[in-house]
Amino acid sequence: MIEEMERDDRVFLIGEEVAQYDGAYKVSRGMLQKFGPQRVVDAPISETAFAGLGIGAATCGLRPIVEFMSWSFTLVCLDQLMNNAANIRYMSGGQIKIPIVFRGVNGIAHQLGATHSHRVQAMYSRVPGLVVVAPSSPYEAKGLLKSAIRCDDPVIFLESEKILADKGEVPDEEYLLPLGVANVERTGSDVTILSYGRPLTRIVRQATEVLVKDHGIDVELIDVRSLRPLDLATILASVRKTHRCVIIDEDWGYCGMGAGILHQIHKPAFDDLDAPIEYIHADDIPVPFSHDLELAMLPSLDGIVSTVNEMFGR
Amino acid sequence: MSVDITMPQLSDTMTEGTVVKWYKNEGDRIKEGEKLADVETDKAVMEMEAFTSGVLAARLIAEGGKVPVGARLAVVATGKEDPAQVKSQASAGGAEKAPEPAKKAEPAPGEGTGPATATAVAAPVAVAPSPSASNPVAEDNGRPIRISPLARRIALEKGVDLSLVQGTGPLGRIIERDIAAFMAAPPPAKVTAPVVSPAAIGPGATQVIAMTKMRHAIAKNLVASKQTIPHYYSTIDIDVEELSALRERLNAILESRRIRLSLSDLLARALATALLKHPALNATFDGTNITRYGDVHLGMAVAIPDGLIVPVLRNVNRMGLIEIRQRTADLVERARAQRLKQDEMRGATFSVSNLGAYGLREFSAIINPPQVAVLAIAAAEKRAVVRGGSIVARTMLTLTLSGDHRVVDGADGADFLRTLKGLLEEPGMMLL
Repeated sequence: MIEEMERDDRVFLIGEEVAQYDGAYKVSRGMLQKFGPQRVVDAPISETAFAGLGIGAATCGLRPIVEFMSWSFTLVCLDQLMNNAANIRYMSGGQIKIPIVFRGVNGIAHQLGATHSHRVQAMYSRVPGLVVVAPSSPYEAKGLLKSAIRCDDPVIFLESEKILADKGEVPDEEYLLPLGVANVERTGSDVTILSYGRPLTRIVRQATEVLVKDHGIDVELIDVRSLRPLDLATILASVRKTHRCVIIDEDWGYCGMGAGILHQIHKPAFDDLDAPIEYIHADDIPVPFSHDLELAMLPSLDGIVSTVNEMFGR
Repeated sequence: MSVDITMPQLSDTMTEGTVVKWYKNEGDRIKEGEKLADVETDKAVMEMEAFTSGVLAARLIAEGGKVPVGARLAVVATGKEDPAQVKSQASAGGAEKAPEPAKKAEPAPGEGTGPATATAVAAPVAVAPSPSASNPVAEDNGRPIRISPLARRIALEKGVDLSLVQGTGPLGRIIERDIAAFMAAPPPAKVTAPVVSPAAIGPGATQVIAMTKMRHAIAKNLVASKQTIPHYYSTIDIDVEELSALRERLNAILESRRIRLSLSDLLARALATALLKHPALNATFDGTNITRYGDVHLGMAVAIPDGLIVPVLRNVNRMGLIEIRQRTADLVERARAQRLKQDEMRGATFSVSNLGAYGLREFSAIINPPQVAVLAIAAAEKRAVVRGGSIVARTMLTLTLSGDHRVVDGADGADFLRTLKGLLEEPGMMLL
């Protein structure tokens, strides 16, 4: 964010506690000092108000970054995101662009309870006019965020409380990661595993390792990265090669993010599939407060390993 | 209660069926799964099983009767009701009601458990090169074979009989590896395994072998050919001494590249040249129009266990000898492994059958329609021939052309053979 704000003075940050408190998760540490209260703005506790302010600023030519303390809180400002941000460019016949990034933590973190653990990806990914990305590493987060800030359309940028503290290699020199492009993390020949964001860091990479090392299954692991637009070309090429596909997601299954991806794949890849596409997702319940129950509702290592083995008739 | 037995839909295209034979009489007790009748569809005669137990109260259709799919064939009394009364009610029901045409015979609510209706005995599936290859996903005991889309696609491409493949995927599903394993080593199948070297049959014993699907298709196509096409046969002896010497010289040069040309390769090259000069033979005939071709697509009959396949070497007129060799080797190898794609078995404009390896002096072949001719290639062998008044040993090859007299006259065939002979006896002519 700092780099982009130095590069382009139209970029500013607004959100709850982003300025004086350095951000609820300390993402904006030091930014108030560096850029002053004109460009790092503490907002009142009204998502509708500051999301709308951001959209208004974007229509006037600024490039706001709007931080939500949690994506769960955007349920109160859906009108701003789904109606205004997504549709203004279309309804103005392309005259008004909305170059804005909405970012914040999404999904199940740790004992935040049912109302603060929403996974909003499917909700926003189904809306034409929005771009939705979910990084799974510091390298991705930086490269994708820079592209998101430079994007002329509203970008829904989904972080996770549980990966904000992750450490990883980030190049010193400037780089951008394109929106709409998936990343093949590991090439393999037996089965394509699709995941993204938090589930990837929590369990999927680990499960991939177990499948490869202990079960001799040559997994092709794809970090979907961009949930809208979906990089169908990369995904289909992989599924046509491996003939099997597993989607792993922490969203609910019914009408979930993975269900949407599955629908995109199954018909074009149908004649190449050697097994039904598997969709491993969270249980169909409100997110429990209890630590053990919360964990139990999410895809597990054993569950992934046994599901993939079953696809091979083992 | 009483349950209707209706004409099942046993194939996608079936709209009506004929009751060929009843195995149960009115009043007989029947058990679920027992053979009830033979039903003839548009494709084959299939067994119809009882899907419910009870007493066969009434047979509403006599043997030989043809009714639409879904029409009532019989009524079964499944409970304590009086079969006679059920029969009179059924008969009073009058003429056949034919419910939704696509409806399969289904157990009445609460009765039976499975949708089993019939057993496919012989659904003939045409093998290539017939253009009307139908869906190979046969039914097994009335249930569709469980198979992955990928495996289904590969099986279709390779012409694999799915009823012989053992599925090892989840729920016994046939998956890609099962097709691969089957093609690598087809298991000795059911009753009708195609046997490579048939087991000896003991004295006094007999062996009944049911037709495989491929056998069915071959039988059908060849009967159609021989009954429709007035074949004539023209035989010519060709001195291939020079050609054989040329082949040896070329092979010596090609040795470092591990390419070894066969006489058939040179023959294919000469055929391409000769056929372009005689387009009447490089043609197809659909009964109305003759189509002639500016390229030569050469069908090559390849023997496989209990059958034959005719892969097509396309555009042989545009190939040099090395390409002919390499492509032929690839096609023949995959033909023997039954791994050809449908496209590679279609579209020949002329065919050859080469039984030279069996040491035949000469033989004749049956035309593969819609082509209008086929060339039978026997063995090249040293023979005593007269040259300049004396008897000398020369390498001779006898070719027999079968022509379709409806569209190619004997003189046309003879003229073509003369051109071919000229090219083979003086291979340099091919350069002209």
